[in-house]
Amino acid sequence: MAPKKDAKPAPAKAAAAPAKAAPAPEPEAPPPPPPFDITSVKVEFTPDQQEDYREAFGLFDKVGDSKVAYNQIADIMRALGQNPTNKDVRKILGNPTDDEMANKRVDFEGFLPMFQHIVNDPNKGTLDDYVEGLRVFDKEGNGTVMGAELRIVLGTLGEKMTEAEIDALMAGQEDENGSINYEAFVKHIMSV
Amino acid sequence: MDCHIEACNQPQEEEDIMDIPLDDPEANKAAAKIQAGFRGHMTRKKIKPADQPEGDEEEEGEEVSSSGEALNGSRGDTGQ
Repeated sequence: MAPKKDAKPAPAKAAAAPAKAAPAPEPEAPPPPPPFDITSVKVEFTPDQQEDYREAFGLFDKVGDSKVAYNQIADIMRALGQNPTNKDVRKILGNPTDDEMANKRVDFEGFLPMFQHIVNDPNKGTLDDYVEGLRVFDKEGNGTVMGAELRIVLGTLGEKMTEAEIDALMAGQEDENGSINYEAFVKHIMSV
Repeated sequence: MDCHIEACNQPQEEEDIMDIPLDDPEANKAAAKIQAGFRGHMTRKKIKPADQPEGDEEEEGEEVSSSGEALNGSRGDTGQ
């Protein structure tokens, strides 16, 4: 479950002075600051939470350098209960090129403020958002949408899903008429 | 009314279904939010079995008998 945030989203940009030149000599080199002002994000997770996150992070490290590739960041966040859009993640990463997405790596300390930022996002999708979003396609106003319609929407709007993703998502969800009760569907989705 | 849906592999028989608001920023924003939620769900579902390093990949069938073997006591194994 996503940890509740107590953060006050006050931009500390005016305060400036990023801690680049730390007085105490640190054994690890700090990650280079990306264009997105990630340094303004204060990490507020408890040590217990960070331990959980570190464990998940480690699972994604296939190379063994205690880092993960940029293109794994979204999945780690999802694994940890968040639902960032791909656009959100790219922004946090400083809008990297596809090449950078595949090859640039970030360590756990660099990941934490990224994750904190997503956790702090006030625009997170709620159950209500999803239901209302799907209600738009409920032509008969009876609480159902046609599976075929939903497939088209998911594949052509927003951050298009692939056919394989859509198949995986909708497996077993349509009734014998090919309809989906979208409120039940969304509740099912949100429960994991 | 022609509904030419781009980048879609769906059969043409479904062209009557709806006017998909391809250019509507609000619709796209709503869709992106839903898709984000779906992707989150699918990722979590996918990694769930990977969490358990057991050889049996049975998500629901928790066979009591397999763990019951130890409880039944070893037969003829030890000569005590």
